[in-house]
Amino acid sequence: MNPSRDQILDYVLHMLEELRSDWDYSIPISAKSRLVADLTFESLDLVVLGTSIQEHFKAQIPFAMFLAEIGQRAQRDATVEELVEFVYRQLAQMNSETHPAGISQ
Amino acid sequence: MSVNTLLIGLDGATYTVLNELMQQGIMPFLQSFLAEGVRADLRTVIPPLTPPAWTSLMTGRRPGQHGVFDFFQLDPESRHLRFFTSHDIHGDTIFSLASQNGLRATALNFPSMFPAPKLSGYVVPGWIPWKQLRLACWPEGLFDSLKNLPGFNQRELAMDIKLEERTTEGCASPAEYGPWIELHTRREHNWFDIFRQLTLQDPSALTAVLFDGVDKLQHLCWRFIRPQDARPLQEDWEHQVRNLCLEYFRRLDGILQQMCAMMGPETTVILTSDHGFGPTRTAFHVNSWLERQGYLSWSEAASTWDTQGALLGVSQVARHTWMLDWNKTLAFAATPTSSGIYIVVNRDGNSPGVPAVEYGAFRRRLITELLDARDPRTGERIVEKVWTREEVFSGAYSDTAPDLTLTLFDGGAVSILPSQDLVSVRPDVAGQHRPLGIFAARGPNLCRGAQVGELSILDVAPMIAYTLGLAVPREMTGRVPEEIYASGTFRARPVRHAADEAPVAASSNESAATTRMSAEDEEVVLERLRELGYIE
Repeated sequence: MNPSRDQILDYVLHMLEELRSDWDYSIPISAKSRLVADLTFESLDLVVLGTSIQEHFKAQIPFAMFLAEIGQRAQRDATVEELVEFVYRQLAQMNSETHPAGISQ
Repeated sequence: MSVNTLLIGLDGATYTVLNELMQQGIMPFLQSFLAEGVRADLRTVIPPLTPPAWTSLMTGRRPGQHGVFDFFQLDPESRHLRFFTSHDIHGDTIFSLASQNGLRATALNFPSMFPAPKLSGYVVPGWIPWKQLRLACWPEGLFDSLKNLPGFNQRELAMDIKLEERTTEGCASPAEYGPWIELHTRREHNWFDIFRQLTLQDPSALTAVLFDGVDKLQHLCWRFIRPQDARPLQEDWEHQVRNLCLEYFRRLDGILQQMCAMMGPETTVILTSDHGFGPTRTAFHVNSWLERQGYLSWSEAASTWDTQGALLGVSQVARHTWMLDWNKTLAFAATPTSSGIYIVVNRDGNSPGVPAVEYGAFRRRLITELLDARDPRTGERIVEKVWTREEVFSGAYSDTAPDLTLTLFDGGAVSILPSQDLVSVRPDVAGQHRPLGIFAARGPNLCRGAQVGELSILDVAPMIAYTLGLAVPREMTGRVPEEIYASGTFRARPVRHAADEAPVAASSNESAATTRMSAEDEEVVLERLRELGYIE
């Protein structure tokens, strides 16, 4: 079954909170935290984070597309919430392709 | 008989530099190590690049057989790049092989090891951003135990992309060199501390540590390490930088000595690099050359993009997707690291690109023109050799490799950035990769004080398998080099080869791979079987 947005958000926030303890970063991380401006992530940080998300949800998610999309924005940044939304949409799309409507399991 | 094995990787090490350092008394332990062991030049893969080279060393396979060609993999459909991970390696690494055979294995700082394979042993992957190091370590709990080590500094231990850029793009001022070199000296000590902790606490049959500061220093500081390749050092700060470089190698020699002492004389110690190094003075703006030939067109976004004085475009790698006008581009270089050119092929008859039926003729024309490309300043040829995909990436997984790979006369790198000049001259001589790296080994049954002919980087994994007492998998392309062993060794203990196996699409360390990856791998195998005529 496809995970909900909340389930994905919980996982991502839990992971970031765990990592935060290694950074001496005191500000709590929320859905509104910006990956570049607040967490000072480089593109490779996003790649590793994305790979960990893939591992957890056991799906190949095209994070390069997400990175390319961020790169074209004026601010070149995205929030945790936007990352979660991207993951949610990709997982939902994969799920619908794997189990198209009308085909019994 | 299994002999414990220590593999020490010195990224980019070359005897061109090490011989001199030994003569100058800066690396006395290395000198004694070579006197008591066997040494050889080690020929690497083409192009001589860290991820494919170390992966070939770890698997005994050519890049076309293991599937890693660069730091990044290009998706031919979306043209996006994604970072290579351990899931992209086809075939077992020597670490997985040891673990599968009940031997403990530890791998520290090797590339393409994230996500970490779930070995019986320990993995701290290399090329991981420092903020994410916790996620990368195996087994769970390892990172917390490392954090308790005195002097542990994850920020210095793991990768900081801004510092990586400096390696190839250069320092902005003389004052930046000193702290940067000292950081790498501390970094090697950090990795040594981890090695020492794990070896004392829970030793492995196979332990491998990669020290990558050699590569970094040689890129940025070649002219200080080898002033004879550039110009005599004149200013005080230049001599200070040279002294710091020499101090780095002196400390590294001390680390090697301590590691060997800890392991004892009954351990086989292998010292190897992934490629060699040499001087370079220029960078070839290959995308600008393709533009002038009429094969590439920049998008409007490219004209407004601030490359901030970058020479190669190391930080710009993902940007080709919007820097190029895909309706008018027939060929392009996606990364400065691979020296590779991709040809855009119109496979469905309705897309931009070179029509599939014209691919061969187009590629031949491009090769001819590249070989004839001239440096406008000197009139000299720029490209020494153009390799086709089949020549350097033959194997089941070559599909995503560049169509063409360049070797430049200067030994230099390509730049993917737009430029008015086809060839940029660097302000000073820098270091760049070369095909001949180093091999040295010392231990039971190995020749003493011998220099043998050139070995292949593909030979290292079979040699380690043999040393560990394992059968050498047939899928390893390299060989166990008999010439490095004392006479009679092979008679007493012949090389065993694993039983012939069906082609393996995915390694056991991919057991945690995603469902979709497994499906893709399956499709690759099916496609190969179709090509071979086994299935319709």
